[in-house]
Amino acid sequence: MTREIRIALTGNPNVGKTTLFNALTGSRQHVGNWPGVTVEKKTGKVSRNGCEFEVVDLPGTYSLTAYSADEVIARDFILDEKPDVVVQVVDATNLERNLYLTTQLAELRTPLVIALNMADMAEAQGNPIDYRKLSGFLEIPIVRTVGTRGEGLQDLLDAAVKEAKTSPHHEHTIGYGNEAEEMIAKLTDPLSADRTLSGKYPLRWLAVKLLEGDENVLAKVRGGAASARVQSILSSINSDEYEATMADKRYEAIAAILPQVHRTNTRGTTFSDMVDRVVTNRYLGIPIFLALMWGAFELTFTVATPFMTVIDTLTVWLAEFAVASIEPAWLGSLIGDGIISGVGAVLIFLPNILILFLILALLEDSGYLARAAFIMDRPLYALGLPGKAFIPMLIGFGCNVPAIMATRSIESEKDRLISILVNPFMSCSARLPVYVLFAGAFFGAHAGGVMFFLYVLGIAVAIASAKLFRSTILPGEVSPFVMEMPPYRLPTAMTSLMHMWSRGSMYLRKAGTIILLGAMLVWALASFPYGVEYGSAESFAGMLGHLVEPLVAPLGFDWKVAVALIFGFLAKEVVVGSLGVLYGAGEESLTDALFADPSLSAATALALMVFVLLYMPCVAALGVIKKETGSWKWTGFAVAYGIVVAWVLAFVVGHLAPFFIGGA
Amino acid sequence: MSNGIKILFGAVLGVLYAACGLLQVVQAIFGTMESLEALFIPGNIFSGSVLLVIGTVFLTGVRKLSIGTEEGMPFIYVGILFSVGIGLVELLALCALGADAYLVGEWADWSAADAVNPLLYLAVIGVLGLLAWGKEFFRGARAA
Amino acid sequence: MEGTCPLALLAAGTEAKVTDVRAGRGMQARLLGMGFCPDARVTVQCADRGSIIVSVGDARYALSRGIAMKIFVGIAKGSA
Repeated sequence: MTREIRIALTGNPNVGKTTLFNALTGSRQHVGNWPGVTVEKKTGKVSRNGCEFEVVDLPGTYSLTAYSADEVIARDFILDEKPDVVVQVVDATNLERNLYLTTQLAELRTPLVIALNMADMAEAQGNPIDYRKLSGFLEIPIVRTVGTRGEGLQDLLDAAVKEAKTSPHHEHTIGYGNEAEEMIAKLTDPLSADRTLSGKYPLRWLAVKLLEGDENVLAKVRGGAASARVQSILSSINSDEYEATMADKRYEAIAAILPQVHRTNTRGTTFSDMVDRVVTNRYLGIPIFLALMWGAFELTFTVATPFMTVIDTLTVWLAEFAVASIEPAWLGSLIGDGIISGVGAVLIFLPNILILFLILALLEDSGYLARAAFIMDRPLYALGLPGKAFIPMLIGFGCNVPAIMATRSIESEKDRLISILVNPFMSCSARLPVYVLFAGAFFGAHAGGVMFFLYVLGIAVAIASAKLFRSTILPGEVSPFVMEMPPYRLPTAMTSLMHMWSRGSMYLRKAGTIILLGAMLVWALASFPYGVEYGSAESFAGMLGHLVEPLVAPLGFDWKVAVALIFGFLAKEVVVGSLGVLYGAGEESLTDALFADPSLSAATALALMVFVLLYMPCVAALGVIKKETGSWKWTGFAVAYGIVVAWVLAFVVGHLAPFFIGGA
Repeated sequence: MSNGIKILFGAVLGVLYAACGLLQVVQAIFGTMESLEALFIPGNIFSGSVLLVIGTVFLTGVRKLSIGTEEGMPFIYVGILFSVGIGLVELLALCALGADAYLVGEWADWSAADAVNPLLYLAVIGVLGLLAWGKEFFRGARAA
Repeated sequence: MEGTCPLALLAAGTEAKVTDVRAGRGMQARLLGMGFCPDARVTVQCADRGSIIVSVGDARYALSRGIAMKIFVGIAKGSA
């Protein structure tokens, strides 16, 4: 007989909650959204001893006030959905601060179990925690866990089952001092008169929140039976002071317990701090970061090369095989020239993206990336971007889709919006095929330099756009930078690989769906009307191109380029594929075909690359923008802005370039 | 007086890295000098800059230590980590390019010598430092 | 213990004790939850640029200059 138990997983940020969640639920996870907000909701299942557990991963928070959507989601879930057990994941190396949340969870009077995570690190630091004693003090069951090694998970589930069955639950009270306790007593009286409230929420908790000035709770009380009396009591006090005093009392209570359960060390300056002194040094900070980035890109491009060669050879062989052996001929062409070549053009860059994401994951998991965000905060602030936009921008060099999703860590809506809007200008890997093709065809030995120029141009446009938005449509100060610096750790291979995969798989999914469709669409438009020469001016593709040609003629583009750009809307990788189809050339000969085309010169090639760099995000990225901003208006704006900027800059570059290119 | 050895080590590596870096950058701007090719110091503005950064980290540490503050130590350690880390990157790059040459069939033409540069061989000295003082560093400079 | 001054003005290595936090409601609640509450002991770790890295208990936080100016502390010992 199976029983279902619902566990809510909560805890501070950076405590290894996600690792623990993954360790518990493995592949039985489902990711969705909390209703009404763009915060990610993860649920998963795990079973043990005939019992089915549903685990809900609540957003990580430092406390349960009402000032951020994350916190409200967490506590509303606990109070309204009433999970069977709440498991708080606590970082054993950071006990004091973590227990602050514990005191607040205890006040919710919910069944509570603590997972003392990262216990291995605490022990390695020579500071093991006497968790049995701590459990006694808190009157909360504590299980020692090591998420990265999967230790303690079974015990955790057992404890959860036990706690879910136990009732009633002790009320853990922290004495808030005479004055506060008096006020609490004064408030609980009228509150108990409000049946709906008192039935749903613990009275003491309500009173405490009201004293702290919690807007959310205040709203719940208003309009109820207790409203008038409560408000008159509250009008006579200063809730700011109470909030600080009560926080103080909580820490006092924690401080009283801690020395008895572990060696309180004023950790003083640690290894992490020493490294930080170097890494955040005023003069060396940015150069060190740039040097690391160079290393990352060098590694990405070189190590990916052999893999790319393998994939390339396979794709070409497979395509030829398909065309040669599949009957009827049109199907063979569709599968060979269309699908396999089209998708192959994308897969070829998969090693590139995976390695870049792996390196980023390693840097992030080791803790360095937080320092990098700290270093870049000041320069970014001057440019109108929040420091936390830094990591998403880095990710954008791989693929804009996970990059835009990563902007969730930015708290201010305006800051977040600006970061999302400028992110597409970070040159993603999808644009590489275009650069490689044209830079290779027209710039020979200088191809590398040209590509570098394009990357820098992208960054420059992103920065300029941010400044522009800041001073016109989205005015206001960049919100302050507050970020926890986790201690440096050696990243585990497993965690970093999973991290890499969660971002890299988005790219693969895009390849498997949108690009596949795009490749088929290109093939179809190029093959019909029936009987027409594949990819010629008489096909639908050609007609489409001629239609749009006038719009891009000033830039020096002809109808073939126009068609390719239109298809590039689906995914920028498709641009090269389309050109291949339209010029009737395979991989190697396309370079020559382009070079031979009289309408294309080095200058127009450069203009084209600039256009591809800047013109609107691809469909996948647009989808994410819509999802993260929840607004068609801004999504449309991203498209329009991109096209305008691309057109203008391509025009400028195309006309100025001849002056610079002449001699080279 | 192990400090003395570390300072010397840091100074030597600092000077070597900075010098190679400078030479690489200069060559990138003014053109390659044949005499340096024998020493495997190509002209490349990027790897030259990275060499300069690593060199500066070492030298900063040396400077701080010579004034007498303990603050310089982390710089030397981080310099060593950096040196070994980037050396590893170069090694992997070399292997990858070799593998690619093999796959493409140009194995006969390819020579590992093309990819050798100071970032790779100076790291060997860095490794010595890591072996000597690595444990000490990682156990944490806990003493405040 | 002399008068109080904002956290932003301290040099690296200085230890201090928080006296009060003068930030807006939301930020104040967050800072409290992070550990910046009256009587908390903090140590400035890095102060090479406008923003700082400060340790509270076992945690380390990076704070931009603006926020660091709003946290007032009294100096417990002299700086290193």
